[in-house]
Amino acid sequence: MSSIIIGFYVLIVLILLAFGAAIVFHLLYYRINRHVSGVMSLIYIIGAALLLISNFVLFMQVDWNKLLGNFKI
Amino acid sequence: MFGEIRFPGQHDDEQVILFLRRHWFVFFVNLLSVLALIAGLILIYVLFTLLSKNLSDTAYFNLLLFGESLGALFAWNLFFILWLDFYLDAWIVTNERVINIDQKGFFNREISELKLTKIQDVTSEIVGVIPTLFNYGDIFVQTAGEVERFKFVQIPNPNEVKNIIVQLQEKERKSEEQELGEAIRGKL
Repeated sequence: MSSIIIGFYVLIVLILLAFGAAIVFHLLYYRINRHVSGVMSLIYIIGAALLLISNFVLFMQVDWNKLLGNFKI
Repeated sequence: MFGEIRFPGQHDDEQVILFLRRHWFVFFVNLLSVLALIAGLILIYVLFTLLSKNLSDTAYFNLLLFGESLGALFAWNLFFILWLDFYLDAWIVTNERVINIDQKGFFNREISELKLTKIQDVTSEIVGVIPTLFNYGDIFVQTAGEVERFKFVQIPNPNEVKNIIVQLQEKERKSEEQELGEAIRGKL
């Protein structure tokens, strides 16, 4: 698998994780209603984790060598 | 009613009278971008599968699924960013003061407050067809000697809220006058 593709994917994941951390931080640190913040944080973390895991599985299933083989420079 | 609500700098005996956020319709309008993104993802999937009958047998099918999954992750984050922007903007009216919590993006948060006794004038404003139908609008609170006005943006039932603020301000002013009178009488 091309290291450029892996590098791009890692960068995207890191950006998404940074956004996720910022969202959870704001939900918990600036909470006005403890109950709402707790429930929404839980929903966000579970949803984001499921989407991220499924995204990683799909990334691994893509045959990047075959796809990139078509783009010869 | 607002027992669960806690805000920074809340006094021990301070009671929350009103807790306001923007009207739900404003959030719904912002949410349309997320809904459009999801509709776009579904449309792309349907189009690709309809245009190429053998797509699922090719290497591009997994690429399509990966792209769709990435789009879904982006939509999930966008929804929560929009919800946070809605959730963290709040106006709190207590028996002592009015507090404005304004979250602008991730790293810009403003909290301003105004004592009820400092209020000189309160104006409510509903402008436009949709705000009139859904009964939401702005409230401007003018303070004595200050040019800048305290603004409640796109809140539900602005006329009712304005009346409550005026009543609270009157009550607080009378109570302050009474306390001052008692203090003067005590000295005399």
